[in-house]
Amino acid sequence: MKKLIRYLAPLTIVLIAAIFIYNIVTNGYIQHPGKTSYQKECAQCHGDKGEGIKSLIPPLIDADFAIQNIDSIPCWIKNGLNHPITVNGKLYDQPMYPISIDEIQTANIINYISREFLKNKTEVNSAWVKEKWNNCP
Amino acid sequence: MLPVYGTKIYTSKVVDGNEVIDSADYTIPPFSFVNQDSVVVNNETVKGKIYVADFFFTSCPSICPKMKKEMLRVYEKYKANNEVIILSFSIDPARDTVARLKNYSGKLGLENSSKWHMLTGEKDSIYAIAASFLVSAAEDPNAPGGHVHSGNFILVDKQSRLRGYYDGTKTESVDKLLGDIDILLQEKQP
Ligand code: HEC
Repeated sequence: MKKLIRYLAPLTIVLIAAIFIYNIVTNGYIQHPGKTSYQKECAQCHGDKGEGIKSLIPPLIDADFAIQNIDSIPCWIKNGLNHPITVNGKLYDQPMYPISIDEIQTANIINYISREFLKNKTEVNSAWVKEKWNNCP
Repeated sequence: MLPVYGTKIYTSKVVDGNEVIDSADYTIPPFSFVNQDSVVVNNETVKGKIYVADFFFTSCPSICPKMKKEMLRVYEKYKANNEVIILSFSIDPARDTVARLKNYSGKLGLENSSKWHMLTGEKDSIYAIAASFLVSAAEDPNAPGGHVHSGNFILVDKQSRLRGYYDGTKTESVDKLLGDIDILLQEKQP
């Protein structure tokens, strides 16, 4: 009996570790918390890879406009954005409508797009989002 | 073989003194709208063509951009095939004037309006054609943008029969549509 346990214990540990690694790899347990929110709230327009849609919806990938105006993103999400803008040299003029999500989701999404698409090191939190919201134009 | 949707129409007639029942497939009734180039598009335009129809509006905040992105795949694939066309009906025809549709189709990069028609017309006729495709479209002040509409892509064959419904917001569903169009293209015509 003791012998059996001695054999099984390491085996079990190896097995649990394997399942854990498998989960990380396949389900993305270490997936960014903003990813799901981004996919739910933004991807239908901006695309899973931030590529946008032709001249209708601007891209987020390497978007100079977003990089330069990162402080304004919380207000664009909250109140929409509806005037002609130039992103990476191309003109866009289609309204983005307000999206009702809370400050935590907003912060997660901004961190996700910063890292994934804007290649920017900015890390924001919900207090930062709240502060921006209090000062929307 | 793709299914044929809609209730069959039965008629009886007398042949050689015997009553025989004749059945005909449901077909899309005649219609007439104008496209982004002010060209009239009606049942004559689609005669002998396979077409994909959908409903949208240019100021739609929710599912329309994704639907248009998926429809672009249909457009790109059959660009050079004049047996296949696309009809996108605006369910907000009062605001979606010809000029606005032209602007919108320009943003999608459409060079060829006779491949992808964006249509406007009388509101009642738009709702009526939605009903004849067996999908819904209506005004709803509580919905995003003030309108509700189905996100379906509807596949219609060369005889104006309904042959398929797809979720225009889902890439996998549109993959199926592309395959089904190829099947229809192989179908023998009566
Ligand atoms: C219904 C479609 C739609 C959705 C959903 C949407 N956007 Fe937008 N977004 C747009 C459009 C259209 C513009 C361009 C606005 C203009 O021209 O004034 C835009 C502009 C932007 C910009 C600035 C332009 C750029 O590309 O740098 C950012 C940043 C942005 N959106 C982020 C987001 C985020 C984050 C979300 C999700 C929380 C989101 N958007 C959801 C349509 C959308």
